[in-house]
Order: sequence, then structure tokens, then C-alpha cells
Amino acid sequence: MSSRKPYVRKRYWNEPEMGWYERSYFFEIWRGIRITGGVFLANMWKWMTGRKGALTAYYPEEIRADYAAHNRGKHILTQRPDGRPQCVACNMCATVCPAQVIEIDAAFDPDDPEHPKYPSRFEIDYSRCVFCGLCVEACPEDAIRMVKETPDLPGFDRGRMWLKQDELLNWQPKQDVAKPYPAAGAGRTRGAP
Amino acid sequence: MPEIFLNGQAVQAREDQTVLQVALENGVFVPYFCWHPHLSTAGNCRMCLVEVEGRGLDIACNMPVSAGMKVFTDSDDVKAHRKAILQFITLNHPVDCGICDKAGECTLQDYHYAYNGEPSLSVDAKVRSTKYYNLSNRILLDNERCILCLRCTRFTHEISKSMALGIERRGDVSNIRPVEDRPLGEDPYSDNIVDLCPVGALQSRQFLYKSRVWYLKATPSVCPGCERGCTIQVWHRKPEWFVKSLDQRQNTSIARITPLENPAVNGPWICNKGRDLARIFERVRADQPMLKGRPVPVAEAIDAARRLIGAARHPVALVSNWGSNEELDSFKRHLGEVFVHAHVKTDWQPEEGERLEDDLLIRPDKNPNTAKARELFDMGEPNYHDGTDLVLVWGEGYDFSRIPPQAKIIFLNSYLAPENGHADVFLPLSIQTERAGHYTNFQGVVSKFEPCFPKGEAVLDAEALFKALEAPPRGHT
Ligand code: SF4
Ligand code: SF4
Ligand code: SF4
Ligand code: SF4
Repeated sequence: MSSRKPYVRKRYWNEPEMGWYERSYFFEIWRGIRITGGVFLANMWKWMTGRKGALTAYYPEEIRADYAAHNRGKHILTQRPDGRPQCVACNMCATVCPAQVIEIDAAFDPDDPEHPKYPSRFEIDYSRCVFCGLCVEACPEDAIRMVKETPDLPGFDRGRMWLKQDELLNWQPKQDVAKPYPAAGAGRTRGAP
Repeated sequence: MPEIFLNGQAVQAREDQTVLQVALENGVFVPYFCWHPHLSTAGNCRMCLVEVEGRGLDIACNMPVSAGMKVFTDSDDVKAHRKAILQFITLNHPVDCGICDKAGECTLQDYHYAYNGEPSLSVDAKVRSTKYYNLSNRILLDNERCILCLRCTRFTHEISKSMALGIERRGDVSNIRPVEDRPLGEDPYSDNIVDLCPVGALQSRQFLYKSRVWYLKATPSVCPGCERGCTIQVWHRKPEWFVKSLDQRQNTSIARITPLENPAVNGPWICNKGRDLARIFERVRADQPMLKGRPVPVAEAIDAARRLIGAARHPVALVSNWGSNEELDSFKRHLGEVFVHAHVKTDWQPEEGERLEDDLLIRPDKNPNTAKARELFDMGEPNYHDGTDLVLVWGEGYDFSRIPPQAKIIFLNSYLAPENGHADVFLPLSIQTERAGHYTNFQGVVSKFEPCFPKGEAVLDAEALFKALEAPPRGHT
């Protein structure tokens, strides 16, 4: 025989506490209408007298300046000191991307043994990107980041919303990469006499 | 038949077997790098350590079975030592998987996750080495990634017999190097070492940085390079990874070709020609039916061909030995009565400098299906005479000047060629990577190939085309 008490669900919400004033409905509704209407009329008055009223940004002509520092806006490719991409075209970002919008062509540079594989084309389709930031997390080279500013998204043709490598590299170029180049601490070399 | 105990389970073994062979045969996986079923036993990677009761740890690949031995492949001791061996193997390994073409199908990666999973314990900087050593015009060697398993050197000594690779110096400064005067570039089987290498040390130049392997899928196929008919895998992009912005040709082109193991024909190897099939299949294609060089719709061209066939009194056919069994059968069934004189045409002649024959795989006839074609049709050049009024040429490689001038020509070809425009009727055909079928090799072994890519709109499958040509022409002539 079990002597446990029956389970009682814990109440973690508050009961609404309303006095007669709230219950009478009319006063609270009137308060709401007054606030909304007041702001509307004030903005309307400013508008009619030629000043800017509401805080709404007239996107895309106007872009708001107060994005949070961690807003995932637009991708950038970080650069090595010589201005070439830090990216090694490993395709980790393209593989992890849930929207499959990153496409990379890799090329071989025999003259740079520290960085022999580099992207010859690196493109992101902003018509399908969901701005999840997984590409940034997946990158082993700190080669792709997202900055808070948004890309120039509006367009009339979704086929033309690919961001190409030149823009990814030149929009806010960043060189303070977490993974230094060339890599520090090289050891002995085999085969050297 | 000695009986041995694998992890407590009694299994039967043959006297000449090693413990590793018995274990793999009985579904007990023992990891290994340097051992390979078709090469001699080197026993240098130490990865296949197992524990034998009363005898301690030893490598399974070099341990003959003896009756009643009790082998443990997964004891705590074995696990601990495997971990230590992986630490040791990766001591100077660069782990640059991000730029390594083997990543995704790398034995070292797989074993690391299965048996080790820990970062390197070493505090010393890694020993560096040559990153891109030019082994031949086909293969690059990354000495940093090499784990010195010696599969590649054993392959050149035991299988291809070119003796082209050796090892120089000792300890952590030893390197795989080509032997002087034995260039690997002249070994027609050299690319097999790229597949054999358990890590990404040997890299095919063709495939270098072309694609990550997880974007690709393999379709079973048959190499048409010679009458051996080695079974191969054609690797091409998975549809879910098709590129949308980059060059669209990536979606429908061959990324690489690897052998498909087949004990009846080629074992686990193929020759370098089989790796270069893109050179044959990715020539400019013919995709437009034509009447004397004038582009016409498919139906019109088929009608014209049927009229020519219906009107001919002494027709001759030249049958392609690149046709599949199904296509050759279809020709025989549907057009065999009209074309009483049907001769096998040799589409592809050996190229200059190409190896003609050896005792491993390469055969002198450089066409895939001569065996089946010979069964159904006559060999040798047809006897043209004044009455010859129609010649049907199926496939490339025939000199049109041998055809008597009064004869009409129906030409079926897959590639762009000047002859296409000279034929009275030209019909474009699909190629091997666009259809399914079978080839019969010179030993009579039948192997199948499957389609990898879609074919063009006006491109026809020969099997269906012959059926369409059989019906009498519609309307009046
Ligand atoms: S933010 Fe997400 S959806 Fe956009 S490119 Fe990166 S991984 Fe893909
Ligand atoms: S951006 Fe980073 S994850 Fe993407 S390919 Fe380049 S190096 Fe790899
Ligand atoms: S050989 Fe394997 S473990 Fe080594 S870098 Fe290449 S993929 Fe990574
Ligand atoms: S190159 Fe590859 S196959 Fe040759 S010894 Fe090194 S790891 Fe083994």
C-alpha cells in the first residue's frame, strides 16, 4: 500500500488580482485608448508640422542605427594580413547550413604552403539564409562572421540575392582573426639535412 | 580445422589463416591501417593488437591460428593500447582535415572517433615535412599526413611491379620517396595507391580540392576502356547538394572514378585509364538530330531514317562495340532482318603510347563489348558493292570515305564530329553515364552500369531507337 500523497501540480502563475476599478472594464479601456490615441495624435501633429514623428525607420531608405551588438545581420569573410580570405574552403559552413545556401569553389595555391586551399568563389544566397549563425559556429578558422548591420536585402529578383565573395570580403574588412596566420609554433622539419 | 575462441565464441579456422582474417571473416571487426587483404603483411602500424590468453598482446594480422587459442579483441588492455597507438600515430600528424581530400572517408578519422576521441597528449611541436611532394603528374604526396603504413610501396612492389616507391631515412624523419629511374608516372596502375592510402597523404591531382566527399555519391558502372570491363564507381554530386549559383556543370559531371571491388574481374584495382573516363565522356556532345546537317525535330529524323531503311535493297550496318548487351540484342531483334549484313565496328583504337596488354588487367582491345557484339554479328570490314544503297553507322571511329558514294548514310553518334553533318540522317545517342545496361567482358563475365546523369531532350537511347526504326514508315514514301 502506498502512502504517498496524490500529485498536485505546482502553481507557478499568478492569479489576476483585479479590484472593482479594473473589473468595471470601462476605465481601463479608456486608459488604453488614451495612451495609443495620444501617441498617434502627437506623431500626427509633428508630421503635419513637418517634423519626424514616430521612431519607425523608413526601411530600406533608412536603416536603424541601434542594432544590438550581437545581432546576426550580414556575413563577412575575415582576412589575412595580406588581404586574402582566411577561409580554407573546408565547406564546414556549407555543410552545416540548414538552408544549404553557402556555395564554395575551392582552388589550390602551390605558392603558399601554409594556406594551399582557398576559396575561388564563395557565395551566400540571402533569399534563403535564415540568419541562424550556425556557419559562424562551424568555422574552424574564424573565417566567417556575422556583423550586426543588415545586408541590402530588398530586391525584385530572388535569383539575384547572392552575396558574392568580393562583397563578403570588403564589407567591413576584419583582420583580428582568432586563429593567427601563419600558425604559431612550427616544429622541426623532416627531410631537412 | 583448428578451432579458436574469439571473445569466448568458438569459431572454425583454416590452418593457413591469421587471427585477423578469422576475426574479419566471422564479423568481428579489428581495426587496422597497414594490413590489406591483397598485399603482404607488414605489421608496422600495430593497430590490430589483440590479447591472447596466456600470451599477452600481439598483432592479429601476423598471428597464425593455433588450435584452442583464446583471443580477445576488445578487452580493457586492448582498448588502452589502441588508444595509445592512435596517440602515437597522430603524434606528428597535422590533422588538417579541413583541407584534406580524404576527410569523410579517412580511416584515421574514423578510428580516432571510434577508439580514441582525445586530443593529443603531446606538448611538443609537431615535426613538419614536405606538404606537397610531386610524385608524378597524377599524384601529390603530403609527407606530414603519411603514417608510414607502407601500403603504397608494397603495392608498387607486389601488384603493379613498378617498384617506384621506397622509404628514406629512419624514425620520425622518414619519408616516402620515389625511387630514382623508376618514375611513378609510367606506372599505369599508380592511382590505386590513392585509394589504398588509409589517410590523405596521397592525393589525386584530378580530384584535388574538387569536392568534399560527402557531397558525392557513387554509381556502379563498368569501365569501357578495354575488354577487361573492370567494375568502377562513378562519383558525382548528390542531387540534394546540387549547386545553384556556381558553375552548373558541376552537377552533372564526373568528380572521380574509383574501383568497385569485383573478384570475378578486377579485384580491388583499376588502371589509370579507368580514372580518366571524364576525358572520353565529357567531350562536346551532339544533341541535335539532323538531315544532311539541317537541324530537325526528333520525330522527323526518325521518320526519315525509317523511310531510308524501308526503301533500301542492299543495306549494310556497322554495329558499335560500345553498345550494351541490351542495345545489341535490340538491334538484332528489330533490325536484324533488314540488315542481313551487320558487321562489328571497332569504335576505339589504342592511343599512341598507351599500354596494349599486361598480365594484371590491361587488354589489347580498347572497347568494352566486343565479346557480345561478336556473338551476334559478323566481324571484319563489310564487302561493299555497286548495289549497296544504305549504310547505317552506329558509333564513332569509322572513316566515312570507305562508304561507297552512292549509298545513303544513317549515322548514330553521341559526340560532336564533322561526319554528323555529312550523314543523310543523323541521330544523337545517349552515353553510358546516361543509361543503364550491361557489358560482357572478354571472359564472358557480365557487369552492369547504371545512369548517373539525365540525358538531353533530343538525345535517344539506342535500345528504344532500334525498336522505333523497325516499324514500317508511316504514310507514303
Ligand atoms: S546564417 Fe544559417 S542559414 Fe545563413 S548562411 Fe549561415 S548557416 Fe546558413
Ligand atoms: S568560412 Fe570557415 S567553415 Fe566556411 S569554408 Fe571557409 S574556413 Fe571552412
Ligand atoms: S588524413 Fe585523415 S585525419 Fe589526417 S588530415 Fe586527412 S582527413 Fe584528417
Ligand atoms: S603515403 Fe599513405 S599508403 Fe603510403 S605509407 Fe604513407 S600513409 Fe601509407
